Amino acid sequence: MNVTVFGATGVVGRALVDPLAEHELTSVSRTARDEPGARWVVADAATGDGVAAALEGAEVVYYLVHSLGVRDFEEQDRVAAETVAREAANAGVEQIVYLGGLGADGPGASPHLRSRRETGQRLASAGVPVTTLRAAMIIGKGSAAFETILGLVKRLPVMVTPSWVSTPTQPIALDDVAHYLAGVCGNEAAFGEAYDTGGPEVMTYRQMIERIAALLGRKPAIVEVPVLTPYLSSLWLNLVTPVNASVARPLVEGLRNPTIAREERIRKLLPLELTPFDEAARRALA
Amino acid sequence: MTGWETSERVLESGGFESRQRVLVVEPMVEASEAGARTLGVTYWQAVDRFTRGVVRASWRGGGGKLKLLGGATLLTFGSPELSFEGGLVSCRYAIEGGLLALRAGGSVTLAQRPEGDQQELSVTVEEYLPRLAARAGAPLWTGMLYAKGQSPFHVAVSRRYFGLLLGSRDS
Repeated sequence: MNVTVFGATGVVGRALVDPLAEHELTSVSRTARDEPGARWVVADAATGDGVAAALEGAEVVYYLVHSLGVRDFEEQDRVAAETVAREAANAGVEQIVYLGGLGADGPGASPHLRSRRETGQRLASAGVPVTTLRAAMIIGKGSAAFETILGLVKRLPVMVTPSWVSTPTQPIALDDVAHYLAGVCGNEAAFGEAYDTGGPEVMTYRQMIERIAALLGRKPAIVEVPVLTPYLSSLWLNLVTPVNASVARPLVEGLRNPTIAREERIRKLLPLELTPFDEAARRALA
Repeated sequence: MTGWETSERVLESGGFESRQRVLVVEPMVEASEAGARTLGVTYWQAVDRFTRGVVRASWRGGGGKLKLLGGATLLTFGSPELSFEGGLVSCRYAIEGGLLALRAGGSVTLAQRPEGDQQELSVTVEEYLPRLAARAGAPLWTGMLYAKGQSPFHVAVSRRYFGLLLGSRDS
């Protein structure tokens, strides 16, 4: 099939190259690139520049774009999703595959998770069937959330954390997400469906920090304090991790809500032995 | 959501049993490990929401704590026991201690089961020994904090929990 990937330069986009190798792949980037494994085209979903050309002949579109780090990321995400949805319909695309966020459907979702949910809705607005996969933290090299945790573990022998580090989450290995994303490509059973994708273990962020630290041979002291706002947390993360505060804040706000899979239909559709957390983290650390 | 019922009684063992339930037209969670876990996670979310974060669940290792803002541990729980067989989906937490427990014992079970052509969602506390309740033979007023505080609080949280389950399904 002819597959076009928006967000191809991101962590997930890059991980998709191998699993989608059997397809004719067009990778979309905002700047010109010439890398092996795909045909690269220049387009910007946020402005609409080049989007129609990028979708020419496409049968399946992967939408892996987000605007985290931009002040009005919610508005930008809405506009970008609408643009791609409209142009995909015009181009006769058969399926849009979208990677959203676990926990986005629950009440009281953070602005970031709300935006993920709304992006999915906008992608479906022009009539092309959307397949949504929802994931919590993706354990892979370069994943913003994983790098944030890693930055904390590497830099701080003592961590003062908000009580939200005790929120349960279900991180998933980058390879497993890529497997699921590639598996729904052109799969009519998945048209118009949304699937929760979670790793094999449910844990708190605190447990995640402790396990990554153990893999690195560290044992940080973690002190939970009841009051630490997302704003203060993001400034702190900006100071001590490589992740920018504008990216960290929406992520931190999302920590308040549990991000676990509510259903397991994807495991029946695409059976897979899920990668244990420690193994996924080891790969990401390598 | 119909069929709201709440009941509470003292068992022969001295433990308390409290049960709340509602009926819904379709399953709120899938009959799977994920579905059972969702019942539990949503319940702790309901506690957090109802108290506006003043009381929160905190998980570590094999179990959890219900903590008051400031750090006091109100209740401690064992790890969730998940079940999904024969239409019943449930998540049970053993009560292991905490300020509100006289001693370890009892459990909280969140369940979904078929009830005719509907589904029953329930919260059941069994064999719980509340520290704030009146002891056997003691004047009734000694249990006022439980009767007028903790017990209605628990019922209100259960209502919130049912609402959250329904809300997450509708969204």
